Amino acid sequence: MKIQKQQAMRTVLYALAPLCLAAIYFFGWRFIATLVVVGATGLLCEWLMARRYGFKITESLFVSCTLFALSLPPTIPLWIAAVGIAFGIIFGKMIFGGFGRNIFNPAITARAFIYISFGVPMTAAFVGNATQGGWFPAGFGSWMSQADSVSAATPLVTGDASLFELFLGLTSGSFGETSAILILLGGLYIMFKKAANWKIVVASLTSFLLLQSIFWATGLQIATESGLKGVSDPLTALLSGSFLFAAFFMITDPVSSSQTTNAGRWIYGAFFGILTVLIRTFSTWDEGVTFAILLANMFAPLLDTLIKGAKAKKKLKKAEGGKA
Amino acid sequence: MTDSLLPFSVFFASIFTGNILLTNYLGMCSFLSVSKELKTSTGLGMAVIFVMATTTPLNWIVYQYLLIPFGLEYLRFIVFIIVIAAFVQLTEMTLERYSEPLYQSLGIFLPLITVNCAILGVSLFMVIREYTLLTSFFFGLGSGIGWFIAIIAMAGIRQKLKNAKIPPGLEGPGIALVIAGFMAMAFMGFSGMIALS
Repeated sequence: MKIQKQQAMRTVLYALAPLCLAAIYFFGWRFIATLVVVGATGLLCEWLMARRYGFKITESLFVSCTLFALSLPPTIPLWIAAVGIAFGIIFGKMIFGGFGRNIFNPAITARAFIYISFGVPMTAAFVGNATQGGWFPAGFGSWMSQADSVSAATPLVTGDASLFELFLGLTSGSFGETSAILILLGGLYIMFKKAANWKIVVASLTSFLLLQSIFWATGLQIATESGLKGVSDPLTALLSGSFLFAAFFMITDPVSSSQTTNAGRWIYGAFFGILTVLIRTFSTWDEGVTFAILLANMFAPLLDTLIKGAKAKKKLKKAEGGKA
Repeated sequence: MTDSLLPFSVFFASIFTGNILLTNYLGMCSFLSVSKELKTSTGLGMAVIFVMATTTPLNWIVYQYLLIPFGLEYLRFIVFIIVIAAFVQLTEMTLERYSEPLYQSLGIFLPLITVNCAILGVSLFMVIREYTLLTSFFFGLGSGIGWFIAIIAMAGIRQKLKNAKIPPGLEGPGIALVIAGFMAMAFMGFSGMIALS
């Protein structure tokens, strides 16, 4: 089996390594089992499809698998993780012609598929953070952190974690999404190495903060089943849930994002940020990131085509004007 | 929700939460066959917006003032199709006679969508959900815009896929259906925002 080398994908993997270590520290060794199952299933699917249709196996596969594993809740049954990544690799990537052709990010199609299909294991089975039982050995000494009851809701729903806890990642949540500081470090690293485009990240962060601030400042109240609920302040919203993780690692995927023009990158990033806030605030889902990425991916090709068309028209006009 | 706001909530709901194409999977045939080019998709999408926004209130009038008084509600399938087909043909002829550019960009798509199931579907939903005339208009308009958004996004995606090496069995409509599935999955994110009842 030959695996094609991709320098940019290696950079992303290096950036994800601290997050993987943190996932063990916060939630226990079970993360490694999840990662192995996801990686092996993904590799098997990619290999089967590649062998049949003559595609190449690329290192981007390992990035997809790691991103997907990091986005899962710590109690996820391993077979669900395997089903998810199989769907993501086969339907999200390989049937479009392998790496470089996929319309949607394979990691996020995998996550969206199991998010819709297996609601309870994906949304209501979070465990508490292992650091609640002491700073050391925390997760390094256990298989799965049991610090809290199994159905501990994430800070995104309860909104009771302090900014400090959210920043370091001492809260419950998915494997890799809790620690804002490590995500920032890894994200800055891949931006510095040009594996991710900074324009997309900046656009999504600013639009997210802006819209969330507007909702927060106007004191918007949302009617839910348990009565009226206010909107959390912009910083808490930014640090809780998986928005930061997605903004740095998911939407910057060079294949599925709008990557041909700078205007396209700005609009694409802003589109993602705004949609995340809207879906989080108004829809029945607690976390809007998954769907916001899918929607942004969905409109990216159209965005590229429209901007290219507009540019060509401008050029044509200029050329005509120059002649006359 | 207050009654005066209902038309607007129906309008937004029919674009996003209850997209006629991506949640009800109606209008698939023309969606799959025409979405290869952005230009034709835009034309067809515009035509669908126009036809839905006009035939839905028209069918409402026919249903309320013709079918109900005579007790002929069970004939609504046939009558709605006749109304839509007649109206579309008339519009096409008028366009051809009076506005050549408009006919070229919009008119040639009109016969294509006379029998589009999404258009009949919108009229039938309008009856089931007991909308008023104004709400029917906004429901038709919103459904048309939702259909338009879906088809131009699909056209963009298919243009990007032109040179992709898609497995032989899945080329054409096959991969388009898979993409439509992903799009429907993405649109599930809007669920619960505004209810469409």
